[in-house]
Amino acid sequence: MKLIACTEGHSSKIEAFSLEMIAAARSLVEAGDEVVAFFAGAEADAASSLFGAADRLLVARASKSELIPAETYARLLRDVIDAEAPGLVLVPYSANGLDVAADIAARTGWPLISYVNEIKRDGDELTVVAQMYGGKILADCAVRLPAILMVNPGAFAEAAASPIDSAKVSMIDAEAVLAGGKVKMVDIDVPDYADVDLTKAERIVCVGRGIGDEASIDLARNLATLLGAEIAGSRPVVDNGWLPKLRQVGKSGQKVKPKLYLALGVSGAPEHLEGMSQADLIIAVNTDPKAPIFNVAHYGATCDLFDLVANLGDRLRAGSGR
Amino acid sequence: MNILVVLRMIPDSAGELQLAEDGRAIDREWLDFQLNDFDDHALEEAILLKEAGGAKVMAVAIGEGAKRVLQMAAARGADEVVALQSEEDAMISSREIAASIAAMARARSVDLVLCGVQSSEDVFGQLAPYVGALLDCPHVSGTNRIVANGAMLRVTQERGAGVAVTYELATPAVLGVQTASKAPRYVSGSKLREASKTPIGRATPEPSGFERSAEIITLRLPVQGGSGEILGDNADTVADRLVGILAAKGLARN
Ligand SMILES: Cc1cc2nc3c(=O)[nH]c(=O)nc-3n(C[C@H](O)[C@H](O)[C@H](O)COP(=O)(O)OP(=O)(O)OC[C@H]3O[C@@H](n4cnc5c(N)ncnc54)[C@H](O)[C@@H]3O)c2cc1C
Ligand SMILES: Nc1ncnc2c1ncn2[C@@H]1O[C@H](COP(=O)(O)O)[C@@H](O)[C@H]1O
Repeated sequence: MKLIACTEGHSSKIEAFSLEMIAAARSLVEAGDEVVAFFAGAEADAASSLFGAADRLLVARASKSELIPAETYARLLRDVIDAEAPGLVLVPYSANGLDVAADIAARTGWPLISYVNEIKRDGDELTVVAQMYGGKILADCAVRLPAILMVNPGAFAEAAASPIDSAKVSMIDAEAVLAGGKVKMVDIDVPDYADVDLTKAERIVCVGRGIGDEASIDLARNLATLLGAEIAGSRPVVDNGWLPKLRQVGKSGQKVKPKLYLALGVSGAPEHLEGMSQADLIIAVNTDPKAPIFNVAHYGATCDLFDLVANLGDRLRAGSGR
Repeated sequence: MNILVVLRMIPDSAGELQLAEDGRAIDREWLDFQLNDFDDHALEEAILLKEAGGAKVMAVAIGEGAKRVLQMAAARGADEVVALQSEEDAMISSREIAASIAAMARARSVDLVLCGVQSSEDVFGQLAPYVGALLDCPHVSGTNRIVANGAMLRVTQERGAGVAVTYELATPAVLGVQTASKAPRYVSGSKLREASKTPIGRATPEPSGFERSAEIITLRLPVQGGSGEILGDNADTVADRLVGILAAKGLARN
């Protein structure tokens, strides 16, 4: 059986989760199986230099370093599926994968399970652990191959990076599909990190929707100042315009690894955890004892965040003589 | 432009979730249901598009509390509101409802289908790409800005690390909205009361057309805590402990 591991990269970079997809596929091989990595984009050389853990690499090569729209990626992947007749396709849960996985499932009719954390295989039966309800529930699912799984970044350890033998790399002529796509990329906006770069911050105070309103952000900001920390927010806080986009932590925000991450009123949805679970010290304050943030926190408190901010602020001010 | 916006009612996962007796679903009896956050943004984007360039907005709601949400949608500016019947007490699988949404879009010559990028019950796949593939029209998810110029759309999509990509595509199209161009608006009580008179249409679901994706064998709660220490719910004592912990790690002072 062939297992296809979908990989991604753009703007001269390969996404780290690509090696996770290859590792996930590797963990499922049985005798005679083959792990085929699929890459679409201009970074063919970078992919070849990293994906040695795959048995083969198929590159749908673009001449320009552009971001390939998901519908074009899906179209290219579909041709690969037609040609290779795989038993399993692993797609990362990324902005691209979100569109690709269900598109392919709809067009092949194959089953799809999303938000996958664990996979076990017995012949052509899989048992899969998927996350639901913002990470509050795990679903054990059974699925028969062929199937598509959309896998959470971080769920599998990266395969070791090594170059792949050039004899095992095939280039797919993608120009016609790339040119014929109905979705055209017209602009890519990379933020200017001059103002704030959370990825370099040593201490972060992150507020979630539990903060309630814009005015209350100042309370957390004052605490951040006392701690010498940067203020950050979860997605809803940023979406509401209470903090600028560059201060968002998570899947579509920044991936941070500070020495201190104090999360106030953050539930800890998988998309948030993706951005901060590697922090050295995570302290979480949330009135809901079942909040998933407590699964990654080193210290957790179930008191009201406003009480904690007031109490901790008092002590820090007293301690620093201010 | 005809816009169809999908509004899914989902359990409030900030509340306590309990498992049903057979362990294959959550117990929905005492749950609060609320509009999927991302669908709320999709609704807002639909109304913003209507305000910017003129459009007819049909809101289709599914699930427990659909009526209340449709009244809210009407108050915010939806022209037509329809409740799509769904199986009572069952999770809303986007794979299951995609055919119904696609059929409604076809029947009404809809130019643009908007829905939230995902719902917390999308374990068998997301609605926008399913509907896009069924209609065989372009689809993009994770949008945070949609601008229409006639039949051409400019759509900005979020990637990781704050990178944003803008695409151009023509209608008909399906978009999975992450964030509306502006935060969803509030409506006044008087507008809501007025909208409560809006007639609510009904639609019956189409057969899904897809094979059953997979089977949920059991649901369970994640093992809690890991290696973390719980400091309790007394802010006073928690603050004391935290000062000690921070000091021990050299993090108390800036
Ligand atoms: C493609 C995609 C990308 C995404 N990217 C990101 C991302 O980059 N970053 C991100 O954060 N999210 C992201 N999300 C959204 C994510 O799924 C969640 O919706 C989001 O993280 C929830 O934010 P929250 O924890 O602040 O809010 P909620 O989930 O609403 O949690 C609020 C919490 O506050 C607690 N609370 C309330 N009041 C108090 C109080 N007084 N004291 C203490 N606790 C209180 C509640 O118990 C609750 O747990 C993304 C989603 C998608 C689909
Ligand atoms: N992934 C895809 N993205 C966009 N269009 C597709 C995709 N797959 C198939 N199509 C279109 O769907 C129709 C049927 O495709 P096919 O079954 O490959 O002949 C054609 O119009 C294809 O261009």
